[in-house]
Amino acid sequence: MNASIAPTVLLVLRRLATALLTVLLASLFVFFAVQALPGDVAQQLLGQDATPDAVAALRETLGLDQNVWLRYGNWLLGSATGDFGISLVSGEPVGPDLLVAFRNSMLIAVPAMVVGVALSLTLGVIAGVRRGRPSDHTISLVSLIVMSVPEFMVATILVLLFAIAIPVFPAVVLRGDSATVAELLPAVWLPAIVLTLAMAAYIVRTARSSTIDVMASEFVTTAELKGLTTRQVVWRHAVPSALLPTLNVVALNVAWLLGGVVVVENVFNYPGMGKLMLESVFNRDLPTIQAIAVVSALVYVVCNLAADLIALALDPRLRTRRKARS
Amino acid sequence: MTPLVPETSRRTVLVGAAGLAGLGLLTLAGCAPDRRTPTIPQAAATGTAARGGRLRIARPAASAAETLDSASSLSAYEYLGALYNRLVRLDESGVTVPDLAEDWSANADGTVWTFALRDGVRFHDGRRFTAADAIYSIDHILDPATASPQGEVLSAMIGPGGMSAPDPLTLRIELLTPNAEFPSLLTAYQCYIIPEGSAAEIGRTGIGTGPFRLSSFEPAGTGSIEAFDDHFAGRPVLDGIDFYSIQDTTARVNALLAGQIDLISQTNLDYATAQVVSASSTATVARAPDAQWYTIPMLFTSDEFSDPRVRQAMKLAYDPQTIVDTALQGTGSPGWDNPVPPSQAVFLDEQREYDPEKARFLLKEAGREGLRTEIFTSSYESVFTPLAVAYRDAVKDAGIDLVVRNASADSYYTQIWMQKPLMVSYWFTGRPIDQLLNQIFRTGSSYNESAWSNPTFDGLLDAARAEMNDDRRRMLYQDAQRIVVEDSADMTPMFGDRLVGLSRNVVNYAEYGFEFDYLSIGLRA
Repeated sequence: MNASIAPTVLLVLRRLATALLTVLLASLFVFFAVQALPGDVAQQLLGQDATPDAVAALRETLGLDQNVWLRYGNWLLGSATGDFGISLVSGEPVGPDLLVAFRNSMLIAVPAMVVGVALSLTLGVIAGVRRGRPSDHTISLVSLIVMSVPEFMVATILVLLFAIAIPVFPAVVLRGDSATVAELLPAVWLPAIVLTLAMAAYIVRTARSSTIDVMASEFVTTAELKGLTTRQVVWRHAVPSALLPTLNVVALNVAWLLGGVVVVENVFNYPGMGKLMLESVFNRDLPTIQAIAVVSALVYVVCNLAADLIALALDPRLRTRRKARS
Repeated sequence: MTPLVPETSRRTVLVGAAGLAGLGLLTLAGCAPDRRTPTIPQAAATGTAARGGRLRIARPAASAAETLDSASSLSAYEYLGALYNRLVRLDESGVTVPDLAEDWSANADGTVWTFALRDGVRFHDGRRFTAADAIYSIDHILDPATASPQGEVLSAMIGPGGMSAPDPLTLRIELLTPNAEFPSLLTAYQCYIIPEGSAAEIGRTGIGTGPFRLSSFEPAGTGSIEAFDDHFAGRPVLDGIDFYSIQDTTARVNALLAGQIDLISQTNLDYATAQVVSASSTATVARAPDAQWYTIPMLFTSDEFSDPRVRQAMKLAYDPQTIVDTALQGTGSPGWDNPVPPSQAVFLDEQREYDPEKARFLLKEAGREGLRTEIFTSSYESVFTPLAVAYRDAVKDAGIDLVVRNASADSYYTQIWMQKPLMVSYWFTGRPIDQLLNQIFRTGSSYNESAWSNPTFDGLLDAARAEMNDDRRRMLYQDAQRIVVEDSADMTPMFGDRLVGLSRNVVNYAEYGFEFDYLSIGLRA
């Protein structure tokens, strides 16, 4: 037993190192992509009518005349400590604004994640076990429809139903960036539902097909022949195995939420990271765009890392280095 | 790192879903879509307003750097007319009328202007308004550090030390060159009057003489203004107005339909949305007549459009009425290539001919028979593409073959405008005649979007500025309009009504040009 711990630790460490490298590469890519955009920060700040002298002076003040690698290094060190630089538009540090936006996004993303994952895994397993029966058809059809309708459409329909026709929820967050958590609470429901639906559909489909695969495998047949009830077979034997392939889909979808929030937050005027991103792109607020891109990359990497580590914990085959037949 | 499900599988079902949701939108909003299209109201509701109440306005914020300093190019437009006054403003027919200045007169050659200022006007902080404040405000606009859009216009007129105050209620301005239309240049929405010495903090305090005083303001966020009891024209009907920033147009409309706000400012609803809004039980649509001036600039420096015969053919080839009918569904008026709206006192009431055959002949003569080129459009404004398509269809009869090209809205005004030979564009109406013609049509002006140059036309503008007789000056401006119609490279197919979404509870909404009636607007009693 002791002998197997060391390789596992090594495996985890190697996985962590890969994650770190991915984030570094992402930051490098983001930084140089932004540098490659036409016109530099000084030009953006001063507008098109600016005199060359004024642009040169501002470039010097902002340190833009320094070596690009030096600037990357400084920016990276700053980012690591939460200092993402100064917003070009508001003139205030990017960090605190980004933090508030991130918190607001989490306010809709976390419930969507928890409810969405739980709901969709359950539905997926039910559909898989009852393959070909009416409940499977209904679940599959509904998830296919939800998957096909883009988020902004789901958002619009929900607003029409629950904010305009039957006014239970507010249609938009009126106070925008200055809304407190208490003010946001009535408004988080509709966006959270939209994200849940958008995310759940994919997971239902994957969970269903992997359940079907597992239910057809030999060890499930053995369990059935052993005389276990269907319930026991499904929840004790089939589901843990069926969840493994679904795990990566869940991870990718959770990370994908960050992309989904861009559209959803704008429809609801919800002051989260997606809206901040759209506004910074619109205003050419390069430091903010850079910070958001890196934070998004970080979330992606962390989600995938978590999925891999959970898989490692759940599946002994992954830990015991190719001893299994596969 | 891409989502596992390919995007294409979503797209295919999307079209059907869009149709379904569109249908849902109409029925849910309580509109029975019978054969007759729901009509968009001609005028805003008028009636007795309840005394007091608060109006909630949703606005698209300029940027997180926006300011209450009207001189700045980043001013929060909706607040300005409520917080401040100018010396003079324009009435609906484009005539300069009193605001803080009660009367004005010039010397014989129009180089020295004297304004008699209103007595007993107070700023929100209790200070009395005097000529010193007016001089300070105009100096602030002229200051190159302010980089005011109106600074360029005014600094060509007023030299250093050109302003003086013989007494606290008299303002004297000496001009560098004669200008009979000078007062009209002070009607711009950058020219609001602020208290002497306040330029550094005016962007946050918003202290003016207007009907409302500021109680809170966050750039690109929320803000509130309260009725100012000591306003010289009387207290406004409302107790206050709350402003909310909502960037997404759909979100603004949803907020209106859900009853979270009462008015959407600075937003021209597209026709389909306007129909949905006017069919709802809570909200409706009002029009700001001819507020949107649509143009089709033909680049004067391009090969094809440097030839006056080609430019003339492009005009003769189409009937603006058909463009209004198709691109605006009738919610506007035909322009006949005259940039002056028909409501203006100086409007030249002569309709050019519509003659596709003559257009064909002119093109042949210019060696451009069957002219084939691209016309650029974008989603920058909701009417752009309908306009480009309607124009393309209209000129087919003259053998002109246009291909509509859609460009990114993001870079439309940096990479297409003033660079591609043919495109669609727009302005807001509300410029005084002198500024309109000098800024957008004069040789070398930075806003001359077609780069057109005509020395006779420029000469007429100078002659008009030097002409102190009102009737003779009007004739000069009309001669100038005639040249624009005949020769200019900037076509005016139409003026569009701005379709403004507002609650059915709002009464006495009135807006034209850059004027908004903050005094009378109120909520239904």
